[in-house]
Amino acid sequence: MSELTANHFLVLSAALFIIGMMGVLTRRNVLVIFMCVELMFNAVNVSFIGFAWEQNSLVGQTFALFIIAVAAAEAVVGLGIIMALSRRLDTVDIDKVRELRE
Amino acid sequence: MPVVELVRPEWGLIVPELILLGTIVVVLAGDLILSRRQHSVLTWVALAGLALSLLSNLTIDWDAGRSTFNGMFQADYFSLFINIVVGVAGILSVMISSSYVEGGEEPEGLPWPEYLALLLFSILGTMLVGAAGDLLMIFLGIEMGSLAVYALTGFARRRATSLEGALKYFLLGAFATAILIYGMAWTYGATGTTALDEIAARLRPVITGEGGIEASLLLALLLLAIGLGFKIAAVPFHMWTPDAYQGAPTPVSGYMSVVPKVAGFAAMARVLVQALGPLSDSWLTLIAILALATMVYGNVVAIAQRDVKRMLGYSSIGHTGYILVGLAAYSGMSADDRSVSSVLFYLFSYAFMNIGAFGVVTWLQSRGLGVTLDDFRGLATRSPLAAIAMTVFMLSLMGLPPLLGFYAKYYVILAAVQVGLIWLAVAVVVMSAVSAFFYLRVVAVMYFNEPVGDWKTQRTPLLGTGLALMAIGTLVFGLLSSPLLDLAQKWVQAFGVA
Repeated sequence: MSELTANHFLVLSAALFIIGMMGVLTRRNVLVIFMCVELMFNAVNVSFIGFAWEQNSLVGQTFALFIIAVAAAEAVVGLGIIMALSRRLDTVDIDKVRELRE
Repeated sequence: MPVVELVRPEWGLIVPELILLGTIVVVLAGDLILSRRQHSVLTWVALAGLALSLLSNLTIDWDAGRSTFNGMFQADYFSLFINIVVGVAGILSVMISSSYVEGGEEPEGLPWPEYLALLLFSILGTMLVGAAGDLLMIFLGIEMGSLAVYALTGFARRRATSLEGALKYFLLGAFATAILIYGMAWTYGATGTTALDEIAARLRPVITGEGGIEASLLLALLLLAIGLGFKIAAVPFHMWTPDAYQGAPTPVSGYMSVVPKVAGFAAMARVLVQALGPLSDSWLTLIAILALATMVYGNVVAIAQRDVKRMLGYSSIGHTGYILVGLAAYSGMSADDRSVSSVLFYLFSYAFMNIGAFGVVTWLQSRGLGVTLDDFRGLATRSPLAAIAMTVFMLSLMGLPPLLGFYAKYYVILAAVQVGLIWLAVAVVVMSAVSAFFYLRVVAVMYFNEPVGDWKTQRTPLLGTGLALMAIGTLVFGLLSSPLLDLAQKWVQAFGVA
C-alpha cells in the first residue's frame, strides 16, 4: 500500500466535481440537477480538506465548515423554489418549464 | 497550555453594516407585531435604516485603511465606495418597490416586510463583499446577497413565470458558486492562504522567479473568473439573465440588475486585482475578450426584444461588457491607473439609470399596462413627466452627453485608451451606437404613437419621487462627476496597503 498523499484527495475531489458538473449539464430533472450541484459543493470540501491536510493548517477546514453551512442555506432556498414551482406547474422537468422566451 | 489571545474586533469599523443588520431585525420584528395595514410604516424604517447606514460611513476614518476581525474585514476607500453605491441603490429600490408590492400588482399580493428584509439582507451581503479581506468573506458575502435575490426573484410565487426565472437563476447561480469556491480551493492550495493581501504577497516572488506560473494557479484563476463571470452575467455565462429579469417582479429586476452586479464586480476587483494582481498578465486578456463578447452579444440581441424587461436584461448584459472594459484596463497599482475607479464610477451611474428604467416600467404596471414596447405607446400624452424620466434614462443608458451614462462610458474608454486597448475603446463606441437603436425606439414609441390600452389613474407618490430623484441624479451627477471620480480613484490607496 502506498502512502496517503494530497493527490489522493485532489483526484477524488476532481472526479466528484466533474461528475457533478456533467450531471448539471446533462440531467433534466430539477431535483437531480440540484443534487449534482450539492455534489460539486462537497467535492470542493474534499479539496479544501486535502489542501489543509497537506499544509497542516486549519484554514481549509474552517472554509469547508462554512461551505457546509452555506450549502444548507442554499438547499432551503432552492428546495423552496422547486416546491413552489412543482405545485404550480406539476412538473420537475426543466424542459417543461419554459414559458419565458423571446 | 498556551494562552490563546482572542482578537478584539474593532466594532467601529463595521458600523454601517451593523446599522443595516439592526434595521433588518426591526423590519422582521415589525412583521410579527404590526397588522397588515400598518406594514407600510416599515417602508420608512427601511429607508431610515439605509440612510443612517450611508451617513454612518462618515464616522469611519477611511484614510487609515484599517482591517479588523483578523484581516477578514477591510474598511478602506474601496469598501466606502461600494457602501455608497449599494446604499443609494437600496434606497432607490425600496422607493420603486413599495407601491408595486403593497399595491397588489401580483396575484394575491406580496408580503412587504419579508420583501424588505430580503432586500436589506442582499444589500448587507454586497457590503460585506466590498469590505472583504479574505476569500471566505467574499464567498459568504456573495452567497448572502445571492440567496436573498433568488428568493426575491421567485417572490411572486402565484405566478409561474416568476418561479421559472427564480429556478433558472438559482440553478445557474449555485452552479457558479460551486465553480467559484473550487477556484478558491485551488488558490488556497497553491498559495497556502485565503487572505487576499497574503495571496498577493506570496504570488509576487513566484512571478519574478523562473519557471513560469504553476498550472494549478492558472486553473484557480480560470475557475474564479468563470464563477464570477456567472455572477456578473458575462457572455458566455449569461443564460440566466434574460429569464430572471423577465420573470422577476419588476422592481426586483431593477434591483438585481444593479446590486448583485456590484457584488460580482467588487469580488472581481478584490480577487483579481487585490489578490491575483501579480498574475495580471494571465487574466487581462481573458477579461478583455469577455468584455468584447459580452457587449456585442448583449447589445445585438437586445434589438430583437419586444418585452421591455427582457430588453433591459440584454442591455444589462451589454453594460456588463462596458464595465469589464474598465477592469481589463488594469495596469498595476499606480496612482494614475484608472481601471478600478472607472468600474466603480460606472456601477454608481448604472444604479441611477437602470433602477430608473425599471422604475418607469413599474410605474406603467401600476397603471394597468403591461411590460411590452406597445404599452409605452403614447406615454408622452398620458403622462409627460414619466415620459421625460424614461427618455432621460434611455439616453443616459445609451451614453448621450451630458448625462451620467456618458461620463461612465467616457471614463471607461479613457482607462482603456490609457493602457493602449484602442480596439476595446472603439468597440465600446460602436456598441453604444448599436444600442441607440433599441433605446431610442422606446423614446420614439412614447412620443410618436397613439396611446393604446386602458389607463387607470393611480397615485404612487413614493415611486414618483424615486423616479424624479433618479432622473435628476442622472442629469446632475454627470456634471458633478469629478469629486466622485476622485473618491473612486482612491482604490489604489485601498489595495496598495499590504
